[in-house]
Amino acid sequence: MKIVVIGGGWSGCAAAISARKAGAEVEIIEKTDLLLGLGNVGGIMRNNGRYTAAEELIALGAGDLINITDANTLHKNIDFPGHEHAWLYNVNRIEPAVRRHIDKMGIKVRFVSRVVDVNMEGIKIKGIYLSDGEYIEADVFVETTGSTGPMGNCLRYGNGCSMCILRCPAFGPRVSISYRAGVEDIKGERQEDVFGAFSGSCKLEKDSLSEKIVKQLDEKGVVVLKVPLEDINTDKLKQKVCQQYALKEFAENIVLLDTGHAKLMTSYYPLDKLRKIEGLEEAKFVDPYAGGKGNSIRYLSVAPRSNQMKVVGLDNLFCAGEKSGLFVGHTEAMTTGSLAGHNAVRNELGMPLLTLPRNLATGDIIAYANEKVQTTEGRRNRYTFAGAEYFKRMKDNGIYILDPEEIQKKVRKLELDNIFNQKLV
Amino acid sequence: MKYSDNIVILEAEVMGYEPYNCIDCGSEYCPCHLAESGNCILCSHLDGKDFCDCVNWNGVCIYQEFMQNNFKAKEGRKHQRFQIIDKELVNEKLMILKVKVTKKLASELVGPGSFVFIRKEDCEQAFDTPICVMDSDTGNDVITLAIELKGLKTRILKNVNVNEHVLIKGPFWNGILGLHSMTSMKRQHCVLICRGIGQAPMVPVMEKLYNNENTITVILDEGTLDTVFIEKELKKYAKEVIKTNTLLMGGILDGKCRKILEGILTKGDVALVHCDSADVLSHQIMKIVEAYNNDIEFSCSNNEKMCCGEGVCGCCTIMNDDEKLRRLCKMQTSPKYIFEGRRLY
Repeated sequence: MKIVVIGGGWSGCAAAISARKAGAEVEIIEKTDLLLGLGNVGGIMRNNGRYTAAEELIALGAGDLINITDANTLHKNIDFPGHEHAWLYNVNRIEPAVRRHIDKMGIKVRFVSRVVDVNMEGIKIKGIYLSDGEYIEADVFVETTGSTGPMGNCLRYGNGCSMCILRCPAFGPRVSISYRAGVEDIKGERQEDVFGAFSGSCKLEKDSLSEKIVKQLDEKGVVVLKVPLEDINTDKLKQKVCQQYALKEFAENIVLLDTGHAKLMTSYYPLDKLRKIEGLEEAKFVDPYAGGKGNSIRYLSVAPRSNQMKVVGLDNLFCAGEKSGLFVGHTEAMTTGSLAGHNAVRNELGMPLLTLPRNLATGDIIAYANEKVQTTEGRRNRYTFAGAEYFKRMKDNGIYILDPEEIQKKVRKLELDNIFNQKLV
Repeated sequence: MKYSDNIVILEAEVMGYEPYNCIDCGSEYCPCHLAESGNCILCSHLDGKDFCDCVNWNGVCIYQEFMQNNFKAKEGRKHQRFQIIDKELVNEKLMILKVKVTKKLASELVGPGSFVFIRKEDCEQAFDTPICVMDSDTGNDVITLAIELKGLKTRILKNVNVNEHVLIKGPFWNGILGLHSMTSMKRQHCVLICRGIGQAPMVPVMEKLYNNENTITVILDEGTLDTVFIEKELKKYAKEVIKTNTLLMGGILDGKCRKILEGILTKGDVALVHCDSADVLSHQIMKIVEAYNNDIEFSCSNNEKMCCGEGVCGCCTIMNDDEKLRRLCKMQTSPKYIFEGRRLY
């Protein structure tokens, strides 16, 4: 059984790993020269409800990537406005570590290869085309192309290409494979009839900051600086993807987190204004390179899907990550990815597809985001374990648990312990 | 299913995915009138959609270029007045002109597939005739045009004299289909076939292949021109030249030519076959090459009739049985997408 995963970000890697564990032959096709996509500039794990989700994934047998981010953690249990017990992984070390794991598992990865079209037989995808015309067949496909960019979208719905980690001008733009297969994409909104949302953070080169700030970042992992009164812009919060960071505190303060870069918790910040702040007089952006002007635009390409991560209307296409809903974050990508990869194998074997139960945070967010995306109001929200609407729901429903043993016990009781480690083929 | 109304079945593509480029993409002429009018052949935003569907990305975001140009097309190519510095009437069917042009234009016309529109100064624009650039001398800024004196436009052009002026519009680049296959050949054995006036566009092809250290075999048919006017270049670039008849009456491939080609292919080292001739010959050659080995690259001259060269007049548009409109002054694609599925009426 051959499964092709289109896109090698966090969700693509998670899908590949779970499909491989279930016994399939797996190939990841990635348009750039790096795995992890936005994971190369992310770094925040285990904050708020993500702690629960991470432990659930481990209990379910899908903890491979969590273990890798844990092992590459720079700072544990950091608190910053609205967030508790965050772990920050080193963005400069994470990609090779994941790549080694993927290699070791015998998952093939084809880099600098852009999937642009499909060959259909009824509602089944027979094969896909790369941009150079090469044709690749497989039994099941998992689309994890994300919803970020490309340049035309960043321009129409944002401030233009800001040169983010996806590097579309160099490697070519993402193409929505579900759309090529005949399924219209759903678009997220940030206000009424304003589509898409800005990525929520940018990164500064640590070496460009004052010694004092660097020292504090190294020691504590977090620095909070006051924004000059005249530069406070609360309107900007509306544009953000990451509603868990769209708090008043993030408009009034500069929040820097140490992920190897100094992660600046705002979509973009004009450089001249940024440099007025004490300690940032010589600050320089490293992601996006034009972080003074804008950031990437996301959520313009969400596929309709079932709670088993299967794209509605197609026979053998699964999806995960941002492609599968208005999700934010790595943990969310690993959650949807693991389920998509596992169910891709079940689909081909003719087995019933796995549904994660709603008394697990991981199962609930998948179902909840799916319900919500069907309403106009729901398309203006984002879904993350780390904050905003969904974290509140976790607390209200009593599924926000911080004791790993309790989570293990809960998953065992559901007879789902190590389900993702089961070989099916 | 809740989303059933979201599902649309996209048009089935008979030939599958077609990797193509726009020859003007990323040049000073992009975005063009097609982008402005919502008919860009590459960008979905400039072709009636409100999202990226960048299936044929070619290194430049045309939508960005369009926005940065204040939502307007760039200015197209202009007619420029240039002096004839040499004119040779080889015979009653063939004239070779040398035209002194600007440094910029000469440098833009060096590549294979380059062509210009030319007409006499006292003629209307309808007399513009597309002529391939046989040679562009960037040291002296002189281009050489070999013109078959055949129809109304070329016959009037015949009356132009040395030191007189002509109107030239250029540069245009889409004179070859499968351009990338040809230009990317390095240290390979390439077979070039030409007939009649096809000798002219073959010169820059030979030069490019030679500079990339390829070994060149030429199969040459004088056709109805009754002359070989590229002897000097053949001597310089080709390892072997085989002169033969290629077409019989009624457009049938001459058995002799077929035998020669198959004899060369059988040796097994051919990486590219390039054809500068009428479509009727190019197509038959392509089928032989395909049947022999699908891995051999094939390129040929783009013979579509051209009138404005800028995607506006519609003269060069074709629609095959895949119902896809192709504008051949702009669209750089493989010959098979042009020849296969061609409608007879």
